[in-house]
Amino acid sequence: MKFDLGWLRELVDPAADADTIAERLTACGFLVELRERDADGEVWEVEVTTNRPDAMNHRGLAREIAVATGAALRPLTVELTEDAEPAAAVAAVEVVEPPLCSRYVARIVRGITVTESPDWLRRRLERCGVRPINAVVDVTNYVLLELGQPLHAFDLALLSGPKIVVRRAASGERLTTLDGEAREVDPSMLVIADASRPVALAGIMGGANSEISPSTTELLIESAHFDPLTVRRAARRLGIHTEASHRFERGCDPEMAATACDVAAAMIAKLCGGRVCRGRIDVDARRGPARALSLSVAGLSRFAGLEIAARDVLRILDGLGFAPRAQGDRVTVTPPSHRVDVDRVADLYEEVIRHCGYGAVPARLPVLSTSPGHRHPNWELVDRARDAAVGVGLAEVMTFAFIDPDDDALAGELPLPGGPPLPLSNPLARTQSVMRRSLLPGLLGGARLNLNRGERALAIFEQGRVFSAGDGAPVERERLALAIAGSRDGCAAAFTDLKGLVEELLDRIAFPAIEWRRGGAPWLDEAEGAVLVAGEAVIGIAGLLAERTAARWELRQPVYVAELELADASGGKPPVRFQPVPRYPSVVADMTVEHPAGLAYATLDGAVRELASERVETVELLGTPFTDEKLLADRVRTTLRLVYRHSERSLTQDEVNAAQAELRGRLAARLGVSFA
Amino acid sequence: MSIARLDSVRADFREALAEAGNDPEALERVRIAYAGQRSGLLRDLAAALRDLPPEDKREYGRRLNELKAEIQEALAAAQRTALEMKVQAGTGRVGVTGYPVDVTLPGRRPPLGAQHPVQLVRRRVESIFLRMGYDVEDGPEIEDDWHNFEALNIPPDHPARDDQDTFYLPGGMLLRTHTSPVQARVMERRQPPIRIIVPGRVFRRDSDLRHSPMFHQVEGLLVDEGITFSHLKATLETFLHALFSDEVAVRLRPGYFPFTEPSAEVDISCIFCRQAGCGVCSRSGWIEILGAGMVDPRVFEAVGVDPDRYTGFAFGLGLDRVAMLVHGVPDLRQMFEGDQRLTRQFA
Repeated sequence: MKFDLGWLRELVDPAADADTIAERLTACGFLVELRERDADGEVWEVEVTTNRPDAMNHRGLAREIAVATGAALRPLTVELTEDAEPAAAVAAVEVVEPPLCSRYVARIVRGITVTESPDWLRRRLERCGVRPINAVVDVTNYVLLELGQPLHAFDLALLSGPKIVVRRAASGERLTTLDGEAREVDPSMLVIADASRPVALAGIMGGANSEISPSTTELLIESAHFDPLTVRRAARRLGIHTEASHRFERGCDPEMAATACDVAAAMIAKLCGGRVCRGRIDVDARRGPARALSLSVAGLSRFAGLEIAARDVLRILDGLGFAPRAQGDRVTVTPPSHRVDVDRVADLYEEVIRHCGYGAVPARLPVLSTSPGHRHPNWELVDRARDAAVGVGLAEVMTFAFIDPDDDALAGELPLPGGPPLPLSNPLARTQSVMRRSLLPGLLGGARLNLNRGERALAIFEQGRVFSAGDGAPVERERLALAIAGSRDGCAAAFTDLKGLVEELLDRIAFPAIEWRRGGAPWLDEAEGAVLVAGEAVIGIAGLLAERTAARWELRQPVYVAELELADASGGKPPVRFQPVPRYPSVVADMTVEHPAGLAYATLDGAVRELASERVETVELLGTPFTDEKLLADRVRTTLRLVYRHSERSLTQDEVNAAQAELRGRLAARLGVSFA
Repeated sequence: MSIARLDSVRADFREALAEAGNDPEALERVRIAYAGQRSGLLRDLAAALRDLPPEDKREYGRRLNELKAEIQEALAAAQRTALEMKVQAGTGRVGVTGYPVDVTLPGRRPPLGAQHPVQLVRRRVESIFLRMGYDVEDGPEIEDDWHNFEALNIPPDHPARDDQDTFYLPGGMLLRTHTSPVQARVMERRQPPIRIIVPGRVFRRDSDLRHSPMFHQVEGLLVDEGITFSHLKATLETFLHALFSDEVAVRLRPGYFPFTEPSAEVDISCIFCRQAGCGVCSRSGWIEILGAGMVDPRVFEAVGVDPDRYTGFAFGLGLDRVAMLVHGVPDLRQMFEGDQRLTRQFA
């Protein structure tokens, strides 16, 4: 909020220099964000938190400055000359809803000429960001800026009655506000009406039908106190935010309503001529004064961790208007009407500590038990997955948790655990309007961006949650997804590259035994797609992105993807058991098996492991299975490399040759394969 | 064959060795001639043992062993010297390739993975607090109104809800606007002492250079008997010194959060200009880094902790903001685009 430094300094005695005021204000909770200098002095942008409506005006902030700089707040004096004619004889005020309007003060000023405001007044308004209009409106704004009381001036001649009725709007009623908008109001909203129609939205904005014009000669000045919630709801529903509504929503000082009305009437009479009618019309339905609070100075010192003297407690609370009374260790106060935020001892503690200065509080670490910290198992799981992905060379990306509903509809076709989608009620954009059910849409958006920007080797992953509707509560699941394309050496990534990555991940994340089955359509290419199965549950997919899916993300080169459901990982790897390191050399023996094209590698590999000599340590695929339709016609040649080793002596080549021959015989018998 | 033969072989060996000098190939020829496994002279001499008369065998064997030792030692010494000479002369082998390598050629680096900078910052924060004995907690990203707002002293229609513009799901659930609801959940679940931090993803309806509708926070909570504002201050100073450096100054100034009373905004001295004034700190010398305060008694009441017995403090930090600050990332939204080049800088 903008403040005129000269104006602030007028209100405190003695006024400290600008730098001191800025420093002390910041220290007691009002951050001076910006200081601008012009011919009339400095204008400050000061952050006033939402709980402090009392400081959203010059006098309120000056009160803080006075306490913070050891000065006094100058008393507020009103020089008002009243006319003999009683206000009550000119107009009437009826409050139909006292709970929504606890006080309504009005003054009548007659015989005025609406002029322009003098320069000093116009400058002050402009410097605080308010556009001058005419002397009457300017005075109401000036009083708002000085005292924090929102005011409204009605052209009395335009009020039928003349009468003010504070009531709920009737269904279907309409009001054109001062900004020229025709608005429909409803019974949830409070309006100011005359005898026949609404003339203002209570606490928000006046109506055009009673606006001050150059021909206005008689005024009714409204200075009221409206229910914060009612103002807030109406302002939100109508989409209006004004200086008045901002303050009413946060809570104004009902005590100030009368004073502010007097100040405004006196200023208008001075600037525009005219007579102020005798007396205020004051419909006052306030409840009693605030509850007294009592604090212990020793308790406060303990809470702060700072030795605070009773005299400082009294000085601070007195300066802030709490009228403290001391008795031994106890200080009793009555919160002033402008402090709507203070109703507990904890609030008083804050008042004292912030004016002592947080800087004055010593920094002392608490003495705590020496128990070590533990991480929630979910963090252990997701970080294990993240470390595994980083360990295999993938770069982590993070994308939004809400995505395009069309993309999410595709995500619904994944053969992974899930449920119905969760759309947002108030998204920022359609492309961010439904909670993701898969990490792949976001990841593929990232893949497209990287490839479009000329990355030749893509290797990215994301770890995060996916969301779906469940029975009652929404379900959140931790996932890990990855995408690879291209390669450093210029040759394209292949299914085996992806599978290698995924196998390494599964190992490191400590998944149980996983079976790879062909599948993953329609997301994955039918020829190069797999679902990962643990027991009978699908816990992941891995493969080449199907053409249709790739086209959706405008991916023109083959992209391999995988997505894993992390909840199915075990609690981590068991501790490693040492295996004796072999001392005798191994013997390598290769074997090329010629078999029908339909024989899965897993079957061949399984048979070899089962039928081979116990001296076989490892079996691995050498190169890629060779197939040539002309040469072999539906036959494939697969070369296996077996490593033989005896734990207690060196094996001879003759022994290995014999074992290989025996294995070939067994394989031929079992699988009907031949050997090249 | 006789013992005299041994002497003549010794003399021949010495001569051959001297002749070979430091030539490794000549030395190898000498080695093969005398100590070779298949046809070396020593082998022949050993074979001759069995043809000797028994009375000579003992003496011959002893002398042969002496000769054998001399030859082996002398050969080894000469070969060692030859190798040293060769290395000194710089005529050793020229690499595997046989030609000198251009050592200024770029190396072939193994492909390394990398974590997102936000995760790096999260784990640094976690490790600092784990060392101080805090547990790392977790909670749902889709929350109910009670835990996100009401239990934290933000009733419906409270103006503080303006500051946390919220995404809603049909049926009243919402995307948590801060990690604070996990505070409430933990306190509902167990009684103090409680010492936790909660890192996590949060959401607000806001999007510009400095705001992303999705970002990350870490929440801290300590509740016990006798916890004071002074403890809060020291804990935050210790943490911020560990996170940035012991050099940074830490400033607490009063602020406002509905769930703490009193509340504090916490600034660190600008790590870029050392308070000389720069763009990052808007020439103020200070950077706002976290929000904190003493837990409001109303929060304790809402979650069933006795406010007369316990006090505590809470604080919240923007992880993305720290990552941006520390690494100089200008646009928050860039962090969530999915560009691997952003991440790979942090490998």
